Amino acid sequence: MGELAAEKHVKYILSVEKRKDDFQSVVMEHLRMNGAYWGLTALDILGKLNTVDADEVVSWVMSCQHQSGGFAGNVGHDPHILYTLSAVQVLALFDKLDVLDVDKVTDYVVGLQNEDGSFSGDIWGEVDSRFSYIAILCLSLLHQLDKINVEKAVNFVVSCKNMDGGFGCIPGGESHSGQIFCCVGALALTGSLHHIDKDLLGWWLCERQVKSGGLNGRPEKLPDVCYSWWVLSSLIMIDRVHWINKEKLVKFILDCQDTENGGISDRPDDAVDVYHTYFGIAGLSLLEYPALKAIDPAYALPVDVVNRIRLRKKLAV
Amino acid sequence: MAEDAEFEAKAGDLLCQFERILESDLLIDEIGFIHPSQFSKLKEEAGSSKSATSEIMGYDSSDFWLQDHKLGISTEILHPLYIAARNTFMAATRKYRSFCNQDAQTVAGDHLSELSNSFNIVESEVMKHSRALLLLSCDFGTAWNSRKFILSKKQHLSMYLDELLLSKLVLSYFPKSEQAWCHRRWVIKLLVQKGYTVEEILKKESELVERIAEMYKMNYRAWNHRCWLVSYMPREQVLNEVKKTRKWAALHVADNCCFHYRRRLILKILEDTTCTEISSGLTVDIYQMWKEELDWDEMLIKRYVGREALWIHRRFLLACWMIHFVSDPNTCEQEGEISNNFHFFLENELNLVNSCSFIPNDDFEDFQAQATYSGAYLLWLIKNCPKPNMIQLEEKLKACNLKTLLYKVCPEGRYSLWKSLMDSIENSH
Repeated sequence: MGELAAEKHVKYILSVEKRKDDFQSVVMEHLRMNGAYWGLTALDILGKLNTVDADEVVSWVMSCQHQSGGFAGNVGHDPHILYTLSAVQVLALFDKLDVLDVDKVTDYVVGLQNEDGSFSGDIWGEVDSRFSYIAILCLSLLHQLDKINVEKAVNFVVSCKNMDGGFGCIPGGESHSGQIFCCVGALALTGSLHHIDKDLLGWWLCERQVKSGGLNGRPEKLPDVCYSWWVLSSLIMIDRVHWINKEKLVKFILDCQDTENGGISDRPDDAVDVYHTYFGIAGLSLLEYPALKAIDPAYALPVDVVNRIRLRKKLAV
Repeated sequence: MAEDAEFEAKAGDLLCQFERILESDLLIDEIGFIHPSQFSKLKEEAGSSKSATSEIMGYDSSDFWLQDHKLGISTEILHPLYIAARNTFMAATRKYRSFCNQDAQTVAGDHLSELSNSFNIVESEVMKHSRALLLLSCDFGTAWNSRKFILSKKQHLSMYLDELLLSKLVLSYFPKSEQAWCHRRWVIKLLVQKGYTVEEILKKESELVERIAEMYKMNYRAWNHRCWLVSYMPREQVLNEVKKTRKWAALHVADNCCFHYRRRLILKILEDTTCTEISSGLTVDIYQMWKEELDWDEMLIKRYVGREALWIHRRFLLACWMIHFVSDPNTCEQEGEISNNFHFFLENELNLVNSCSFIPNDDFEDFQAQATYSGAYLLWLIKNCPKPNMIQLEEKLKACNLKTLLYKVCPEGRYSLWKSLMDSIENSH
């Protein structure tokens, strides 16, 4: 089995940021905030966050904040809860949450909760169980979870549960590993995991492992490195990770590396990108691969970052 | 610096050409990004007539290609074209927003008509440039939002329907665009709010999803949209959808999305069935529908060996039966019949498992998979069996020696899962 080409991945992640001379690199600029979270969290897990100029990143993040308190994917764009969480996570990585006007961000998130407990992604009203997780995590990081109706929020997430044990975007939506991660994460963060039939959901999640060792996101789909994160973190949160073959999964992820130029792709021999690079590295971290920082499955941040935030809360109380 | 200016001028020119084409042909129904080498091929095929039309239209025929309402854009120009579209849109939307703020402050001003005139111009600029931008970058949320903002102040049905067309055009080459699907839902919700009858629109939406699902298999965003539509459908339409999607599903047995859609429809019918309907015999119809689905699924399982989606569908049908027909107190009246049915149901399912767990010597992967799925289905059956019926099931399992079958078909890597499941089932009974 090959090894993790850690140094090459660091180089690759740093180079992505600088590429602006072709269509493929500029056309993703509307979600640059997500990209920053993926790249920087990967660097932190690899122990190389110090290669980045923290002040520069923080001031760019803050320049994406909208007057409503929410963050946009890039300067001058409209705010959305997706980018608001990424912004808060990036600031958390650098231990810079204190630059935030916490009330303002909280107001933005709280304002997106609907009567039925669900969350809209922005003022235009699209509802998705992903946004519930994002709102709950965002407020947890800011120690403001008590500002929303948690009970209703939990009820909505539970209403997205299917008979196969999985969760969809909305009540009645098809089970999908990414949505399952969000719903399990939301329930974990609110201490509501008792709503889950762990054997049933664990069963569905385990059946995502295919012969090559990789995980897919839904039945009949090809494996994809990003599900190493979505499925694995869910299995850990519901304590059923011993039901899959971890060695084979490690091998699958390592096979998706570009060992020459760095980066990880969705499947072996495909083109790499920063999204799959992050999820590959995060997956390996969950699999306790040597020399990687541990990552928290619900917070999707390195464990030391989460501990720092928890400690602050204790000290404040 | 000179280089930058040159790039900018060229980019601006490309955007003008692009927008002119979009305005000249409102019926464009398909767009694609084309490699330059394909352009020369297209030219050869079309002969000389083509270059003449592009001259009249005023665009460079090595950058754009328009014929029969199909538009091709050269991949060579995407970068500058995108930069120009983004910059022009962002400038227009900034101007529009500052206008909106101003407008609120100077409602009673002297220059009202002048103001409203230039306001309209800026508004149409935003609509024009956001359109061009979205056709290049389908998930540029700010551009979709700027359109929503303008539309929410309008009352013209035709404008809302135009939005459905734009998003359809985007989906013709970005079938997974989350924002394009989301925009459709926003428009439909708006129409419902404004009191329009949406039944016809729902029907067309459903057909659109099917066409797009044909182009790109297992398209989660598309099918999720279709599932979303169900909550707006009257019962008759739901029943119709069940009928209509059967053929498509049978032709795409690996597309779990379509089977999930059927599950959504069946659950919707069950949800909407009130107690009075149950006592008045409607359950019989529903039971009939369920039974047909079960038989149809069995037929597909036998015809298409080793398809996961078909077995997952069967798991649903089984669980659904246990919940709605076996343990539902509302069906008490027919208890005799149901317990009778349980016997036949069990018999049938165990026979199916038995016949599908056979692996021929030629060792085909499909048969291996079929055996695994049938084993997992047996586990599912045991796990979902209501307690009062457990003794009956246990007897059957013993008689057919089905527990050894489980060990035989369990794939490598699933031992710990299957064993844990068996242990927990045994402990609970």
